[in-house]
Amino acid sequence: MLSLHNPFPTTPKPSINLNNSTPPFSTTFKPHFPNTLKPPKPHKPHFTTKTQSLLQYNRKPQLAGETPRVVVITSGKGGVGKTTTTANVGLSLARLGFSVVAVDADVGLRNLDLLLGLENRVNYTLVEVLNGDCRLDQALVRDKRWSNFELLCISKPRSKLPIGFGGKALVWLVDALKSRQEGSPDFIIIDCPAGIDAGFITAITPANEAVLVTTPDITSLRDADRVTGLLECDGIRDIKMIVNRVRTDMIKGEDMMSVLDVQEMLGLSLLGVIPEDSEVIRSTNRGYPLVLNKPPTLAGLAFEQAAWRLVEQDSMKAVMMEEEPKKRGFFSFFGG
Amino acid sequence: MAPIWTLQLHPISFQPSIWVSKHQTHLNFMKLRPEFRFISSSSSSKQLNRKFVLGANSGSPSDPDEPAVKTQTITVAVKDQLSKWHGTINSFPPLVFVMNRYGGRNLAIGLCIAIALLVIAVRVYAARKLRYRTPGSVADLVRRGQLRSDRRGISRPLMYEDPFNNPMVKVGKSNSTVEMCGKVYRLAPVTLTEEEQAIHQKRRSRAYQWKRPTVFLKEGESVPADVDPDTIRWIPANHPFATTASDIDEDLAQNNVYQKHGVPFRIKAEHEAMQRKLEALQSEQKLNNLMIDPRNAKDFERPFKEHPRSREQVEQSSFNNQTSDSMPPTSDPAPISVESNSSSEETQKL
Repeated sequence: MLSLHNPFPTTPKPSINLNNSTPPFSTTFKPHFPNTLKPPKPHKPHFTTKTQSLLQYNRKPQLAGETPRVVVITSGKGGVGKTTTTANVGLSLARLGFSVVAVDADVGLRNLDLLLGLENRVNYTLVEVLNGDCRLDQALVRDKRWSNFELLCISKPRSKLPIGFGGKALVWLVDALKSRQEGSPDFIIIDCPAGIDAGFITAITPANEAVLVTTPDITSLRDADRVTGLLECDGIRDIKMIVNRVRTDMIKGEDMMSVLDVQEMLGLSLLGVIPEDSEVIRSTNRGYPLVLNKPPTLAGLAFEQAAWRLVEQDSMKAVMMEEEPKKRGFFSFFGG
Repeated sequence: MAPIWTLQLHPISFQPSIWVSKHQTHLNFMKLRPEFRFISSSSSSKQLNRKFVLGANSGSPSDPDEPAVKTQTITVAVKDQLSKWHGTINSFPPLVFVMNRYGGRNLAIGLCIAIALLVIAVRVYAARKLRYRTPGSVADLVRRGQLRSDRRGISRPLMYEDPFNNPMVKVGKSNSTVEMCGKVYRLAPVTLTEEEQAIHQKRRSRAYQWKRPTVFLKEGESVPADVDPDTIRWIPANHPFATTASDIDEDLAQNNVYQKHGVPFRIKAEHEAMQRKLEALQSEQKLNNLMIDPRNAKDFERPFKEHPRSREQVEQSSFNNQTSDSMPPTSDPAPISVESNSSSEETQKL
């Protein structure tokens, strides 16, 4: 999938998927076999390895699909990490060089602005745009860290959205963004509220694809299954899931469902697996998304990988299962 | 027996150092003595052992004690080796002579190296000083804490840090393990197939039959004629954030969203309405100044003017107007001036 649209067919194409069944750092020269999983054997291993390592670092992921890609991030159950995922995936995409508009469609309980640290800069929302109090470009809040990331809130916490055209308003919004002067954004990411109420209906209306966030517990799985069903009924076929808050130690002790169990129950392709990380809470408190942390944390890396797969419309081919004790070298006794 | 053995072995192992140092100076020997005392449990027993060794050397075969015999043999062997070693040391030319032979040249080389090192250090220090002194650069801002180095997203060229080829992510040689952030994880292949995915989709399509609601009605309202009842969502009157009542025209709202330039619709409309009312008021005032009803004048006020505090402000401004009649009310908005005029009219009437 990731190499469907290869603009540089002669350049060595690195297999970017870490969890792919093909060796991630294998030397792959894929001009003639773009869709094969198993690449042909390289002819010049030394040369290609060198080139690949040069190319692979600082390589921009290839954008697949039509822009703007309208992605709704939903779950069903609350508190599984929809907003966190939106913030982190959105900022990862912005870091990868794509222009992103994140829409906080959580009408009653919006939080995305807090996670991004932009809460003081939200003056206008989509309701004001609809009323004619401001223009759309005035309501878009540009992130100062990554200028190609913009936030739009649907409404202020205490105002009521005329739900009759909440969904229509989002469709207009997508159209307006498509035809704006500085160019259409590559991604419009919609943070969906919990539940399948009016807010959910509003949020999924303009979406073409969906990312389902779930945790490996039965409550969130049941809700996720129902939400997937509703999305499929609505005509959104491209649904991928992110399994959040995975604890490999608990999976090892068989206290938690493994990611493969979750996949077996839902039957959805995997966009990412996010391990449980205490840094998530810290970054939420700071209003500084996890993916901007230096050095990167485990969850931040996983979000980055998920964003990379989202860009290339790829899915995971292998999952991380359990921690293995790190093999110590012969000289590790001496600190080596 | 065991304590005796340990005590015997310690002096033997340290014998060479004593032996060598004995020839040079007696002080070394004295220095090493405390070590012996530290190693052995009691100095008296060690002395006794030494006596044993000496006794064995002098030759007393009739000694019935077994350990004494063993110590004798070991001591003799060690002493032989030591004497050999001492001989080899003596055969070497003294180190001082070797040093003296190349002394002058080495001193010069050492001096040169030292000077070179010093020069390098001074150069590096000076360069660093100079670099720090350049004011106004972004690096300077970062150093002074004005700018966070990790938040310089815009000023820094964009880096596509590949999350799959990150120094924090290392894939094992066999491709079955991955090391992330110092932890090694086992990789298991995903087993979900396209068929399974299709089966799940079919199951869901059977289980959940749903149409996205497009019509939102308040509870109690009647269903419109040509509407599929499945697509109706009933919104309760006390819904926290959703309302079915909308005072906005749909086309107008759409235009508002699509508007790219200029003054937003509502602002423009308000402004125009104000302008029109003001003009109407002024023309009416010109025609018949005395006929303006103060109750009508209240209609021109904006709703927030009805606040008691604003009323006070109005009164105050009317007072100001009364006091300085000659000054034109440029800064005051129109309703206030109207109010002031009307109030002055009232007073005149009274």
